[in-house]
Amino acid sequence: MTDEQQAPDPPVFDAVVVGAGPAGASAALALARAGRSVVMVERGPFPGAKNVYGGVVYGRVLDEVIPHWWEQVPVQRWVVRRSTMILTDTQAVTLDVRSQAWGAQPYNGMTVFRADFDSWLAQHAIDAGARLLTSTVATGLLRDGSGRICGVRTDRPGGDLRARVVIACDGVNSFLAKEAGLLPRADATHMTLGAKEVLALPAGVIEERFGLGPHEGLDIEAVGGTAGVPGGGFLYTNRDSVSVGVVVSLNGLAASGRRPEDLIASFKAHPGIASYLKGAEVKEYSAHLIPEGGYSTMPELATDGLLVAGDAAAMTLAAGIWLEGVNFAIGAGLEAGRAAATAIGTGDVSAAGLSGYRRALEASFVLRDHKRLRLAPDLVLSDRMQQQYTKVLCDIAEDLFTVTNPQPKPGLVRIMRRVLRRHRVRWRDLARDGLDTARTFR
Amino acid sequence: MVAVCVAPTDLRPEVDDLTGTVRSDLRRADLPAAEAAALEYGLRIAEEWGGWVLVACCGSAAADDLLREARALGAEVVRVGTAPSPTAGPLGPLGPLGPHPVAPGDLAGHPAATAAALAGAIRGHGQPALVLCGDRSGGAGVGAVPAFLAAELGLGQSLGLVSVRTEGVGRLVVERRLDGGWRERLAITGPAVLSVEGAGVRLRRAGLDAVLESAGAPFDVRSPNGSQTPPGEPVAGGMHTSASRPYRPRTRPVPAPTGDAHERLLALTGALSDREPARVVGPLTAAEAADELLAYLARRGYTT
Ligand SMILES: Cc1cc2nc3c(=O)[nH]c(=O)nc-3n(C[C@H](O)[C@H](O)[C@H](O)COP(=O)(O)OP(=O)(O)OC[C@H]3O[C@@H](n4cnc5c(N)ncnc54)[C@H](O)[C@@H]3O)c2cc1C
Repeated sequence: MTDEQQAPDPPVFDAVVVGAGPAGASAALALARAGRSVVMVERGPFPGAKNVYGGVVYGRVLDEVIPHWWEQVPVQRWVVRRSTMILTDTQAVTLDVRSQAWGAQPYNGMTVFRADFDSWLAQHAIDAGARLLTSTVATGLLRDGSGRICGVRTDRPGGDLRARVVIACDGVNSFLAKEAGLLPRADATHMTLGAKEVLALPAGVIEERFGLGPHEGLDIEAVGGTAGVPGGGFLYTNRDSVSVGVVVSLNGLAASGRRPEDLIASFKAHPGIASYLKGAEVKEYSAHLIPEGGYSTMPELATDGLLVAGDAAAMTLAAGIWLEGVNFAIGAGLEAGRAAATAIGTGDVSAAGLSGYRRALEASFVLRDHKRLRLAPDLVLSDRMQQQYTKVLCDIAEDLFTVTNPQPKPGLVRIMRRVLRRHRVRWRDLARDGLDTARTFR
Repeated sequence: MVAVCVAPTDLRPEVDDLTGTVRSDLRRADLPAAEAAALEYGLRIAEEWGGWVLVACCGSAAADDLLREARALGAEVVRVGTAPSPTAGPLGPLGPLGPHPVAPGDLAGHPAATAAALAGAIRGHGQPALVLCGDRSGGAGVGAVPAFLAAELGLGQSLGLVSVRTEGVGRLVVERRLDGGWRERLAITGPAVLSVEGAGVRLRRAGLDAVLESAGAPFDVRSPNGSQTPPGEPVAGGMHTSASRPYRPRTRPVPAPTGDAHERLLALTGALSDREPARVVGPLTAAEAADELLAYLARRGYTT
């Protein structure tokens, strides 16, 4: 081979973003908009091809980057009904919130399919100048002579991508964050398993059954209903299908010896859910880990040449009544992209140069919500919450509405006393847990 | 020039259980195994003959990313088909209400018209020394395009090949299945249309630099009408059968099963019948493991 024929040096990008999920696409969008050269490396054949989640995205975070996003986002339905259910095997207590304001601009939550949504968001990054490499797996980090991260190795022939900054948006259990020494070994205590089925139901049936208009959707989040395994379930309406699933403690699942699909079957068979699903045909089954540990389990977010965002940094907010990961991933991705662009501009991509990322997150909803709700994951998955209080609440509600004539109505305090005794809950514990709950969700 | 014809297809379309309606989403499109094999053979042959590969495709823009991947493997690309719809970016068409099944080009389901369009597109890039196709397309293909293509180009054809290898420049030795479990070996010395089964070779992956370079790059896109040319005169080329022999293990006639439909189905599928249970034979050394495998194949009649 002559000198002229020698392969050129691998291209140098300002940034490589690993993963074109919500965090990665947002990071690439911010970088491209800041005029930086950026390439997204995605292992799937297209963004979102295999990404698993429940079904509802809250798009407010997009307002600042994609004005009027609701006019083009590939939405299934706009969520106008939000039900929170507390379930025991045979009971349900439901808080049902409906707001027509959520069904009009600027909207609140929407059901979307990830294959559509992730592609749409990544396309915005591409339109802004980012590049996308699909069907390509980042297999490791590249380091320069001083040990500083300077790119990623991919599984393609000749596959080293050199860049000033790497942003790891590779999702839960991030191999890149681990390789960089930022993420400790995965701890099952801080993981839940989400498993879901998509069931076909005609649009008309969905609208009639759930009391919805043509583009309106329902989001049900349930605590309990998972055959005694700590966790809960969800049901979201798409245009002509529903997504139904469970999110359960990994340790609890292992101890129960049950299979995730059994738990979905239990949830679907719950009397409070089953009638919604009559005649629905299973189209798809999927399962994925969720990093539910929250604030206290987040890794360091930056090291020399590397930032971590989204699920890779355990940023899913899973606080019982909320399961929000996509908006947190977008929020973190945007800040990571901006911080990287600034650091590249100043020529300092060391951990110190990239530290603006954490500061920006601390000022944004991403870390503020996580910090405020940092006790929530443990509280929601605690035995007392899962095993005792769900029963207590359902029994109190049941007793309150059971008419026992000719006996007069017993009064709330008497019912509570009776129910607490039945479930061996002491007032003292109740008061303490009540205080903890109030403190957690204050 | 070695031309390779491909039709990226959604290999896992959704089928409505009740109505049988097939919904495909070309964002998930991939090369069917046979076309991937055709492309790999094409690349190998072009390397050994010192030529170049033209990948020709007839279909919509939804699978252009896949064609760019072929470009990253060093091939030239020509696509005959519909222009991208206004809502379709490189990632596929996304309307405000999600993805719509993409019609795979106007010519899908019309093998003669597809072949005519492909032939025109190929000729637009020169005279092919060889044309390779998959034995059938991944959709509802019946494998007719290669035969029509041979007629269009005036070339000989050899279809359903299980192996293709070069024997010097311009010469190939190929093998194909015959009825009754026989195989035929052919020596090919002139331009021809060959269709291959999806077996025996695995398509190489494109290198990173090449993928980056070809991402988003334009390639030759022609309209179906614009690419039509009159059928070619037959081209003299050699295709000689050098051997026909029975395939191992030999096929043997078995009596048609009897009984009711359920029993016959069980007999045909072997379901519920006694079978050799799985055995754990290891741990073995590599040599012992090889002996074990060879003995198994011999017991089953695969080696003699
Ligand atoms: C069952 C379930 C239900 C959920 N429900 C909701 C919900 O209703 N609403 C909500 O907001 N959130 C929900 N979440 C959480 C949400 O899915 C995540 O928080 C969100 O997807 C995180 O986005 P991300 O971009 O950080 O990671 P991901 O979405 O996981 O994206 C990571 C991307 O990186 C790619 N990748 C990974 N490794 C590599 C590699 N080595 N090389 C190249 N590419 C790689 C992947 O293919 C993927 O595209 C749910 C999660 C689960 C599992």
